[in-house]
Amino acid sequence: MSVEAQQGITTSRIPAGLGGLFPALILIGLFFVVPVLALLLRSVTDPAPGLQNYAALLGDGTYVRVFFNTFVVAFVVTIVTVVVAFPVAWMLAIMPPALASILFGIIILSMWTNLLTRTYAWMVLLQRTGVINRALMGAGIIDQPLPLINNLTGVTIGMVYIMLPFMILPLVGTLRAIDPMTLRAAALCGASPFAAFRRILLPLSLPGIAAGGLMVFVMSLGYFVTPALLGGTSNMMLAEMIAQMIQSLLNWGLGSAAAFILLVVTMALYALQLRLVGSKRAAGGA
Amino acid sequence: MLLDYDRLGWLKAALLAFTALVAAFLLLPVVFIVLLSFGSSRWLAFPPPGWTLKWYQELFADPSWIEAALTSARIATMTAILAVAIGLLASFALIRGQFRGREVLRGLLLTPMVLPVVVFAIAIYAFFLRLGLGGTTIGFVVAHTVLALPFAIIPIATALEGFDKSIEDAAIVCGASPLQAKLRITLPSIRIGIFSAAIFSFLASWDEVVVAIFMASPTLQTLPVKIWGSLRSDLTPVIAAASSLLVALTLALMIVTALLRRKLQT
Repeated sequence: MSVEAQQGITTSRIPAGLGGLFPALILIGLFFVVPVLALLLRSVTDPAPGLQNYAALLGDGTYVRVFFNTFVVAFVVTIVTVVVAFPVAWMLAIMPPALASILFGIIILSMWTNLLTRTYAWMVLLQRTGVINRALMGAGIIDQPLPLINNLTGVTIGMVYIMLPFMILPLVGTLRAIDPMTLRAAALCGASPFAAFRRILLPLSLPGIAAGGLMVFVMSLGYFVTPALLGGTSNMMLAEMIAQMIQSLLNWGLGSAAAFILLVVTMALYALQLRLVGSKRAAGGA
Repeated sequence: MLLDYDRLGWLKAALLAFTALVAAFLLLPVVFIVLLSFGSSRWLAFPPPGWTLKWYQELFADPSWIEAALTSARIATMTAILAVAIGLLASFALIRGQFRGREVLRGLLLTPMVLPVVVFAIAIYAFFLRLGLGGTTIGFVVAHTVLALPFAIIPIATALEGFDKSIEDAAIVCGASPLQAKLRITLPSIRIGIFSAAIFSFLASWDEVVVAIFMASPTLQTLPVKIWGSLRSDLTPVIAAASSLLVALTLALMIVTALLRRKLQT
């Protein structure tokens, strides 16, 4: 067989350019896939083979309440984030470029500032003797300081703060892609601004809202830092519980099982989001 | 009319007012922490009774803060270099390669961005305990590179997708070797993507808390671990001073990014 023919065979076996993927695949395979699979294996083998870790998790009211808490907080955070982000994204999509770049600057500054820095600021702001309580008391709105921290209120405020940029930025893209003519046409045909919003602007931006909202929900479900610092000990969230099971209680079996449940839920929702984004792209291309 | 800025009528005033409120909400913690770091009250009273630099002095007098910052900078730099190098190779394969399962592989490489960090943190913690890599610089860099890789691949792959490959082919037709063409034509053309990848992967490591908490040892602490430890014990204004320096760093990074983008684009 000639040299050329041999080369032809090798190139057809290893398709062009595939070699570049090897370093990435080795890194992700060895240090991501293997450790995560090993952890999942541990959830059914530690301390003894079987499903007793899952039975313990789902049979105990304390754990079930943590799951429930986590879903409620993630849901509330998502709704608040969407409602707050939409008008901002709307303005960003149509305001003069000079004004928009200032607003983008503020959003990026908030997003890029160290996560712990932002959370620390909220810890101080939301304290019993913090600025917010004092301002509200000074204004005569309340006479007693509100419990804003070490509870789900604190977690929600801190999480919405962190999630807002992740909702605003993609939504700007969705809104910019909508042709203003459709809304002019609606107004010409006599639609009130409210009707135009409800029947045209909102439906057209729904794919962006759904994709962004799902991303915020998924991120909130597994968030660790902010709930751990702004939340209370009595209403823990899932990620903190997992960390505690491993770090303080050294209960690897239970911690791995809880991690696996979080993984399955997250990945299922991520797959759903991919389908939404995919269908949005398809719609945009048509 | 709802998407015409100048024809929104009364709605414009209402929406702008709301947007301004949200902008204030986003700025509030950042501005607040910087002001607080110069306030003289140990109990973080606001507005502060007086102004002082003593928290910064306390910060710089404590070698553990400096050491933590240097450790973070070292790990983040190594992470950024590794993530960009691996991400660059992978992006070429993902964008140019013709093989089955490309989308699946792309999805796999981006998964670390989606999986809750706490799951990865305990997984890699257990794995490294077994390998003896827990609490080592190598362990940190490897774990952070896994997390940073998606942030490197996305901007590079996007830039590469927008690059017209026929220019590279033209160079090869004119006698350049494929490697020369890539190094001298393609890489300079996608430099904005590479640059963004470097910034994002640096930040992904520099700000990373969860893996770091598990991996840290008494002798090897990154800055977020140091802040985390201090936050759990008390809310000393020294953290505000350290935080303000991080805000300054973020601002500097934003300005450099904006300037470089402008320069690279022309």
